[in-house]
Amino acid sequence: MSDDYNILTTRGLTMQFGGVTAVDNVDFNLREGELRCLLGPNGAGKSTFFKCLTGQLTPTKGTVTFAGQEITGALTHKIVNLGVGIKTQVPNVFDGVSAYENVRLSARRKHLAPLARELTHATLERCGITHLAKREVGLLSHGQRQLVELAMVLAGEPKLILLDEPAAGMTGDERDRLAQLVLESARSAAVVVVEHDMAFIRQIAKFVTVFNRGAIFREAMIEDIMQDREVQEIYLGKQANAA
Amino acid sequence: MDYTLVIALEMVRAIAWLVLLSSGLAIIFGMMRIINFAHGEFLMLGGYTVVISTGHGVNEWVAMLVLAPIVVGIFGVIVERLVIQRLYGRILDSLLATWGLSMLMIGGVTMIFGNSVTGVATPLGGMSIGAYQVPRYNFVLIFAAIALLLIIWAVLKFTKAGLIARATMQNPDMSEALGIPTRWVYMATFGIGSAVTGFAGALLAPMTGVVPTMGVNFIAQSFITVITGGASIITGTLAAAGLLGSISQGMTFLTGPVYGDAALLLAALVLLRLLPQGITGRIFKKSL
Amino acid sequence: MEKSVIRDPGFYVMVGIGLAVMFIAPVMLDLFTIMQFTQYVVLSVFALSLGYIWGFGGILSFGQAAFFGLGAYTFAVASINMGSTTIPMVLAFIIPTIFGAALGYFMFYGRLSDVYLGVVTLVVALIFWKLINHTAGPEYSIGKARLGGFNGIPSIPTLHIPGDTGAWLDPAQMFQVFMAILIIIYIALRFLIASDFGRVSIGIRENETRASLLGYDVRLQKVIVFAIGGGIAGLAGAMWATYQSFIDPNSVSMEMSAKALVWVMAGGVGTLAGPIIGCILLQWLTLKLGTVDVVNSIAVLGAIMMVLVLALPKGIVPTAKMLAMNGWTLWNRRPNRDAVTRKAVKHE
Repeated sequence: MSDDYNILTTRGLTMQFGGVTAVDNVDFNLREGELRCLLGPNGAGKSTFFKCLTGQLTPTKGTVTFAGQEITGALTHKIVNLGVGIKTQVPNVFDGVSAYENVRLSARRKHLAPLARELTHATLERCGITHLAKREVGLLSHGQRQLVELAMVLAGEPKLILLDEPAAGMTGDERDRLAQLVLESARSAAVVVVEHDMAFIRQIAKFVTVFNRGAIFREAMIEDIMQDREVQEIYLGKQANAA
Repeated sequence: MDYTLVIALEMVRAIAWLVLLSSGLAIIFGMMRIINFAHGEFLMLGGYTVVISTGHGVNEWVAMLVLAPIVVGIFGVIVERLVIQRLYGRILDSLLATWGLSMLMIGGVTMIFGNSVTGVATPLGGMSIGAYQVPRYNFVLIFAAIALLLIIWAVLKFTKAGLIARATMQNPDMSEALGIPTRWVYMATFGIGSAVTGFAGALLAPMTGVVPTMGVNFIAQSFITVITGGASIITGTLAAAGLLGSISQGMTFLTGPVYGDAALLLAALVLLRLLPQGITGRIFKKSL
Repeated sequence: MEKSVIRDPGFYVMVGIGLAVMFIAPVMLDLFTIMQFTQYVVLSVFALSLGYIWGFGGILSFGQAAFFGLGAYTFAVASINMGSTTIPMVLAFIIPTIFGAALGYFMFYGRLSDVYLGVVTLVVALIFWKLINHTAGPEYSIGKARLGGFNGIPSIPTLHIPGDTGAWLDPAQMFQVFMAILIIIYIALRFLIASDFGRVSIGIRENETRASLLGYDVRLQKVIVFAIGGGIAGLAGAMWATYQSFIDPNSVSMEMSAKALVWVMAGGVGTLAGPIIGCILLQWLTLKLGTVDVVNSIAVLGAIMMVLVLALPKGIVPTAKMLAMNGWTLWNRRPNRDAVTRKAVKHE
């Protein structure tokens, strides 16, 4: 695959903590407009890989390239300003202020106040949380906070969206809405979703990358992954059988 | 030759001084991640213990080595029970509360003993190196600093209490989950840290005299040493004291004692800019 | 946006009270009381500087007196040398701002937080205090001004009308000018806090990681907030120097930093009215206690600080607001009021 079509690539990405290699020599490619799910059992290195992409960790070795620009170990806010939207595993929201204010702070980053206001309303609407606009985010449920955070990511109008376990703590309805939102966003941006909620994965996934022991174990369409014996063994085993 | 020897001795004394000043604080910081802002007043309390007990005819060595640590240690446990334990998880509040305590102690001691310097005779007198006179007491300080570090090291390394302490330092949540009563560990830590501080205060008393406001002269040095050192008690204190002690002493030789402190601060700022978690936050991570 | 300030009745109440005091007090009160009030005004500006960076930037500075003292000494040295007070007043804002930016660069670009931040700010003030204390000798002079060490700098010029070095302000005029400065700073900070810049600061206070995940440079933002706070504290220091016409190292002491913290804690972190109210209330209390010889004022300050942390962590203004809100809710829930409402509904 030529790099020209790739919005995000990593080459030989390696992250070591002391003697532990959490991410081991990963070559990862993401095409523009692609929606990709990252799977893998706990401790497979998905989240560490994710943090290397977002600048929260500086990889020990290797490079990360976004839209032709190397961003290895760059500061998070610089990566974001290049057009990357990030949702971390633990909800990161501004607890003490309203949902509207949360989203507006994201919209305001690129737009002047009047446009930011419109964009904020539109994004809240799009995420189905207009009714929460005036509520203090710290008082919302976990799932609602997740949606607020997603709205913040979308309001930044990113070219690449990185989501780490967005469905965690969501009710069935909220998850359905999230799946719809992710699919919708994937029309205008490339999306990477780290997730192990299988019900959610089935709703959104097409092409899937499976991590195991810090390395890419398999890359294939979700249907093939579901059939893959070895993948089942390392991760999906019980769940796939149960389903 | 003699002059070089004297300078070298002064360097080592400066380092030992920083080690003594900050070990008690480092124990508390390493274990609990809080800085006791009343540290200077704990030193002062150690000093006053010596003054009062020798005034009542107690042998000065007994007062310094036994009484001061016990008195200040007990005081520390009381403070921990009454104040600190209410503020776990609220790091900044605990700093503010101990600062309040610091002022309360300064004011309180001033009300009782008045605001004048009480001298304490320096034991042992002087000795000469070539043409230079050096107080023998300097060797006591150096010896005390080495002994103190060795004892802390041995306790951490070889005793069960030390093992619990090391576990708590590495991961407080995990050790709580393993059934270690963190609250008791913290109380003991604060008590021991205070006792060490009391001991240091007692040793410093003969060099500086005691006065209610004496703490303010030492806290800059000890705070800086501890946070530059980072979370590891022994390595951190030793590394920071070694580095900062030589810098400030070197500066003192060149320009006088005023700029020694300023140089200390500047060096620490540059270090913290490079290593925000202190020396042992990046290097020697696994050390004690 | 700024509308939130314009719509807030509390804002008008504060400015209204300020203006009323500014114009009425000199007419109604005797000279001694006016001078007492002037002192409160100056210290309120100092309290605001800390109230802003702590409450609206999440930066807890334990050494705010460093800026206060730097401003005071800048003003003293500059005004003695220049014979005028206008430019020194400006310098007393600018130099602490620059110093705040430089110190902020070391702290925030080094990502210091919590304990580290507290200790570094405290130590900076402490070392500044030590340095000034050691400048007693005649060799420590800047131009015509001798720093004077622990003896301080005497005969600092009184403020004059800009451009006319002969037109000294009398105490009542000085009070009015300072009051105007306080009101202007209060208004400016209210608008700054409501601006986009201010909202990002609040966002950073709430969640640093999220702010940087939105693309905001947390470090730069904090440096700016810290520098603004430093500048305001410096201005307060200059006002202090000209009001007393004397300045000594006490203006940089730990006690001074602690006082600012206590005022803000007492009044309430996260408000601007709080620090002012806390400052006036506690300074008045100190004044009353000062007449009693037995009690040591530092001990009282320390005790208040401990009690505030342990018993009233939110401060007076937020606690009062909360009580008022609870009272209002209770009032609304009165049974007969419900009955009245029900009746009204029925009639419809």
